[in-house]
Amino acid sequence: MEHVKNYAMALNYQNCINCKGCEVACKEENGVQLGADKQRIWVGMVEGSIFGKPFVNLYPSQCNHCIDAPCVSVCPTNASHVVDGGIVKVDPQKCILCKGCMEACPYDARFIDDVTVAVDKCTFCDHRIEEYGTTSCQATCPTKVRLFGDLNDPQSDLVKLLKTKKFFFQKEQEGTLPKLFYILPDDETYARQSVSADTLIHTWDDITNSYGIIDEKRS
Amino acid sequence: MKVEISRRKFLQGTVSMSVVGATALSTSLLSSEESSTTLPKSLQNSKTNHTNSSKVATLCEMCVNKCAAIANVENGVVTKLDPNPMFPKSQNMLCARGNAGIQALYDPDRLKYPMIRIGKKGEGKFKRVTWDEAYEAVLNGTDDFPGLAKILEEEDNRSTIGYCAGEGMAEHTYKTFMANKFGSTNFINHASICLQTAISGYSLTIGGYGQADLENARYVIMAGANRAEAIVTPDTMNLFKRTRGRGTNLVVVDPRYTNTAIHADTYLQIKPGTDLALVLALTYHAIKKVIYNQTYVENNFSGFEEYKDHIISSNYTPEWASEITDIPATQIMKIAEDFMAYAPQSIYYQGRRTTWSQNDFQLRRAQAIFTALGGGIDIKGGIVFGKKLPLDDHEVNTPLYANALGRIEKKEAKIVGASGSWIAWRNMIAEERASYPVRGFFVYKQNPMLSVPNIAKTKTMLEKLDLVVVIDTMPSDTVMYADVVLPECTYLEREDPIKSFAGAEPAIVLRNKVIEPMYETKPVIEIMRGLSKKLSKPLWEITKKFDEDVQEELEDADSEEEYYEEAGFNLTDAFTHSQEDINKHMFVPKYGEKAWQILREKGVFYPEMENGFKKIDNNTYQYYREDKKYHTVIKLQDESQHEAIDTCVNPREIAELKRIFNTSSKKVTCYLASMKKKGIDPMPTWHDSEYIKVPDGKFKFVTGRHAQFTQNSTQNNTMLLELMNENHVWINDKEAKKLNIKFADVLEITSSVGKVRIKAYPTARIIAQTIFYVHGFGAHSTGLTFAHMNGASDNQIIEDRIEPIFGSAIMHDTIVSIKKV
Repeated sequence: MEHVKNYAMALNYQNCINCKGCEVACKEENGVQLGADKQRIWVGMVEGSIFGKPFVNLYPSQCNHCIDAPCVSVCPTNASHVVDGGIVKVDPQKCILCKGCMEACPYDARFIDDVTVAVDKCTFCDHRIEEYGTTSCQATCPTKVRLFGDLNDPQSDLVKLLKTKKFFFQKEQEGTLPKLFYILPDDETYARQSVSADTLIHTWDDITNSYGIIDEKRS
Repeated sequence: MKVEISRRKFLQGTVSMSVVGATALSTSLLSSEESSTTLPKSLQNSKTNHTNSSKVATLCEMCVNKCAAIANVENGVVTKLDPNPMFPKSQNMLCARGNAGIQALYDPDRLKYPMIRIGKKGEGKFKRVTWDEAYEAVLNGTDDFPGLAKILEEEDNRSTIGYCAGEGMAEHTYKTFMANKFGSTNFINHASICLQTAISGYSLTIGGYGQADLENARYVIMAGANRAEAIVTPDTMNLFKRTRGRGTNLVVVDPRYTNTAIHADTYLQIKPGTDLALVLALTYHAIKKVIYNQTYVENNFSGFEEYKDHIISSNYTPEWASEITDIPATQIMKIAEDFMAYAPQSIYYQGRRTTWSQNDFQLRRAQAIFTALGGGIDIKGGIVFGKKLPLDDHEVNTPLYANALGRIEKKEAKIVGASGSWIAWRNMIAEERASYPVRGFFVYKQNPMLSVPNIAKTKTMLEKLDLVVVIDTMPSDTVMYADVVLPECTYLEREDPIKSFAGAEPAIVLRNKVIEPMYETKPVIEIMRGLSKKLSKPLWEITKKFDEDVQEELEDADSEEEYYEEAGFNLTDAFTHSQEDINKHMFVPKYGEKAWQILREKGVFYPEMENGFKKIDNNTYQYYREDKKYHTVIKLQDESQHEAIDTCVNPREIAELKRIFNTSSKKVTCYLASMKKKGIDPMPTWHDSEYIKVPDGKFKFVTGRHAQFTQNSTQNNTMLLELMNENHVWINDKEAKKLNIKFADVLEITSSVGKVRIKAYPTARIIAQTIFYVHGFGAHSTGLTFAHMNGASDNQIIEDRIEPIFGSAIMHDTIVSIKKV
C-alpha cells in the first residue's frame, strides 16, 4: 500500500553563493507576480564582523510547510489548507485577504498576489513532483543547496542525508514543526559563525517522534 | 508592437502524487531502442494534457558558459527553462540569468525588423525597412550615409571596413563572411578587454590556459577571480561544494570581500594592483625554503636557474611584498608552505577577466610558474588540459585580395594578435592616426559603447565612421550609432554551429532551435547569406576594376564566371548550406547517425556517455567513469611510462614524469628569450614605477561582475532587475563616515575621462582608498525602457590605457575623486 507522504527540504546552506537562480526559477516556474516583495523563495543574508574581519552568512529559505501550521489553523475560510504530502497551500478562490495567515507565519513566507487577489506562497512545486521528483528551485541550483524528498520514505535521498548529518531549524521555538532542515556544517568554525548559540541541534533519531515519521519497521 | 510576456500557467487543483522522483538510469544510451524510457524523467517528452507541449534540448546564451538547458514549449510559447543534466561542463544547473532567458526572448524592446538611420548619428531615429532594403543600404547607402560600393571604389582596400564580434557560437559564421569572403583584416573581439593576458601568459609558460580541476584540487588560491558572482562552469559548482573542510582549502585574495571570499578558509585583503608582488614573494619563499617539487623542476622546467637567481637576487621577500600588498609576511609564508604541502593538487587560479594593471602578463606568468613549482600541471587536481572531441571541418573557399592592408594598430603594442587591441584600434580611428582610413564598421553581438574604456572616444569613433552596420537582438547604445540595423533572433530561435568542449570530461553540444524566429529577425547565418547575395556581384565588379592580381589571373582564365567561382569571389558559396546540414556534416562522419540522433534529441553527446552517464541522486550525475577522465594528456618523453599514470596512486609521482609541453622550450618556460628581443622582461619582474599610487583624498576604481547580470547584455531584463535594480558604488565604511556619506547618497565620481552619478553603498567589505561598482549598467539608449539611464557605466570613467605587450585594456588603474551631490 502507498504510504502517506510527508515532503520536506534539506538545505546545505553553506553551498549557497547567493546567485538567486532559485528565485528566478521559482518565479518562472510558478508565474509568481513580479516585484521585489513578491517572493515565494529568497536568500536571507546576515552580514557582520568578528574581530574586525567581515563575514556573511546566507540562509536560502522559503515556506517551511510546518506540520503544525499556524497559517492553516488561523484561516477563517479554509483557504489555507494542507494537501497530500503535507504541503501547505492556499486556495485563492476562498481567500478573503484577511491577512491572518501572514501575521501568523513565523517566517514571513506569504505575500499578496495582486493578480489573483489572494495570498500566495511556496507550493513545493507540487505540480512538478510527479514528472521531475523535485522542485524547480532544487533542480536549477548551481551549487546544489537543496534536497527535496519524503520524510516517510527511508529510501529517499533526503532521509539518507538526514540520517548522516546534524541539522537545525529556523525559529524552532515557535513550535510549528517546520520542515526546512538546515544541515549543520561539519566545519566547526563555520558552524559557530552561522548558527546562534541557542539554536537546538538535532539528529534524525531525536525528531522522528515529534515529526510523526513513519518508521519502516513499524509500518 | 505588442508582445506578451510569458508566464507559465500555474497548474492548480488536483495533482497526482503517486510517483516521486523516478530514477531510471541510462544504462545503454547508444544501443537501446527504448533509450527514451531509460532516461531521467526530466528528459523524456512530457505527457501532460497540453496538446502542443514539447521539450527541446538547447544551450543557454545568457552568458558565455553555454549551459545545457531544456526549454518547455506550450502552444508555441517558451514557458520554462530547466537545466539539462546531461552536459558534463554545466552539470545540472541554470543560474538566475539562465532562468531569465525567457525575458530575453520576449523582451518588448527587442529589435524586431531591419532599420535604416534617418536622424543624426546617435539620435536613435530609424526607419523600418525590409531585409532587401537594408541590404541595399549596406551596398549603396542612402542620402544620409555612403554604402560599401562607394567606400570601396574610393579606397580599394577591404580593410577599410573594420568589424568586431562578441563571444558566441556563431562568431565564426560572421568571421567567415567578414574575414574570409569579404577580406578585411581589421577584426577585434572581446579578448583585449577580457582575458588576453591570462591566455597568453599561461600559454607561453605552460603551453595552454588549461582548466583548473576544482573538483579535485586540495589547495586553491583565487586572486581577483570571483567564481560565486562571475559564474564559470564547471568551476563554480565544483568549488563551492568543497570548501570549509570538505576537500579544498580556499584562499581568496581580493580588495573586496566578495561572495567568493565569504566561502574562503583564508581571506586576504590586498591593495589593487599589487598581486604580482604577492606571487613573487610566494615564489621567493618556496625557492628559499626549498619546498617546491625539485624532481618536477628538474624534469620539466627550462630556465629555472635564471629564475631562481632573479627571484633571490631581486630580494622578493615576504617582508618586501608585505609593504606593497598590505598582506602580513607571516601569512605569505604560510600560504607558500601550505600550497607546496598540498601540491601537486594546488592551483593558483588563472583568472578570467584579467588585465587589471600594466604588469598583468607578467602576473599571469608568475602564477603559472608558481603553480608549476608544485607540479600541479596536467594532473588530477591541478591545471588540466583535457581532451577535445574532434569534429570535421567546414571548408571555405577564400578569395585573395591584392589590396587588403594589414590591421591598423599592429604597432601600438609589442604583440597585437588577430583579435586586436580594442582601445588602440578605436583610438587610432578616433584620433585619426591610422595609416589608412577605416571608414566602415560591422558590429555583431558586441556593444563597444559600453564595453570599452572611455566611452567618449568610442562615441567619437562611431561618429567618424561613414558606415556602421550593427547586428544585434537589442537596441543597445551602439545600435543608436548604427546606419543600418540588422535584427538577429535570440538563441532560443536558432540552431547554432555545433561545438566541442575540451576538458577532463569532454563533450559535444548542440543548440537546437526552440521556436521559430519572432518578428522579422534572422539567425546570423541567414543574414550573411542575404548580405552576400546582395554584395557579391557588385563587389566583384570593383575588385575587377582595381585588383591587378585578379586582372592578371583573369587573362589566363577560361571564363570570368569560372574564375569568380573557383577563386572564391562568389561570396555566397560559404552560406549555401543550412546550419542543420553543416552541423550534421561536421558530426556524422566521426560519430555516426545514431550518435547524431542522440545529440539532436539530448543536446549533448560524448562516446563515454553510454557507459559513464548515470544519475546518482536528484542533484548529482556521473558523466565519465573515473578511469575514463582526461586529467593527464600531455605526451611523455618516455612513452613507456604511460603505464605509471594508470597504476600510480601517488599524484606526486605522476606529476613528476617528464612531459613534452606545448611551449617553445617544450618545458615549463621561466625565461622567454623571444620576449627579451622585443624589449619585454623575459621573467616576471616587479617595477615600482608601474604601480599607480593613490593620492590622498582620491580613490582607485575597480570594476567587476555580478551573478545576476552578464556584461551589459542583460540590463533590460525585467526578471533580473527584480534581483538588483541598479548598481551602487562600494566605498569603505570608515572613509564614508569621514566624508559623511550614507547608504544611497548620490555621489559624483570623476576621472580624467568622464564622470558619473551613482548611489553609495558604504561597507566594510572593501579596502580603503578603493571604490567599486559592477559593470553592466548606465545605458543611454532610448530604446531600452528599463535600462535607460539606470545606474552608472564603469567605462564612462575608466581611462583608456593599454598594457604594453598585447594592448589589453587596463581596467583597475584609474584614479577618481568623489563628491556628494
